[in-house]
Amino acid sequence: MANIVVDARGSSCPGPVVELSKAYRNAKVGDIIEVWATDPGIKADAKAWADKTKNQIIGIKEEEGVIKVSIKIVNR
Amino acid sequence: MPKKKSKLSIIMFSGTADKFLPLGILSQAAAAMGFEVNIFVTGWALLSFTKNAKEPPFPNEFKDMAPALMSGLKKMNAKPWQEMLKEAKEMGAKVYACSTMAGVMNIKKEDLNELVDDIVGAATFLEMAEGGETLFI
Repeated sequence: MANIVVDARGSSCPGPVVELSKAYRNAKVGDIIEVWATDPGIKADAKAWADKTKNQIIGIKEEEGVIKVSIKIVNR
Repeated sequence: MPKKKSKLSIIMFSGTADKFLPLGILSQAAAAMGFEVNIFVTGWALLSFTKNAKEPPFPNEFKDMAPALMSGLKKMNAKPWQEMLKEAKEMGAKVYACSTMAGVMNIKKEDLNELVDDIVGAATFLEMAEGGETLFI
């Protein structure tokens, strides 16, 4: 079980969700992917992505303009 | 029963630069969401899928706004449409050139750039698109 950070700061939509999807390709069930983004679209996009891929959002926080979304991989 | 895979099909017809943005963004986003993505390139758009193609032009009515758009995109670190499409393809998107338009413009398979997977007819594309969402851009 790994904690994977996807640093998509500065990348515009749909960059962060693309980076998330790339990280997901190599992730295993139980891993946590944390996406860092500055594009505000990521909040809704990560939810849509998680719904679609049947994974779980376990946290969304904002620190100094950086949105950090944690997603637990429960489906491969 | 498992839900059928989501599918986005795009008929890319327009040949102007502004229209290539949604092509890149939507195909990349859809592929990232796990959608099956099929792009049918026809009309003026096909010219931008040939080897040594020039950048597509801006439409005349929005020409004055093009510099502002370009600098805004740069500020947002948006990638050029070709790169977005390449990324979409790495995630499984497919690009098909329209056989009729290729014939009309005398464009052969070897004249098309590496973004194009195959040359197909309209019926083949419609069969691929059936049951999903289809956009005409």
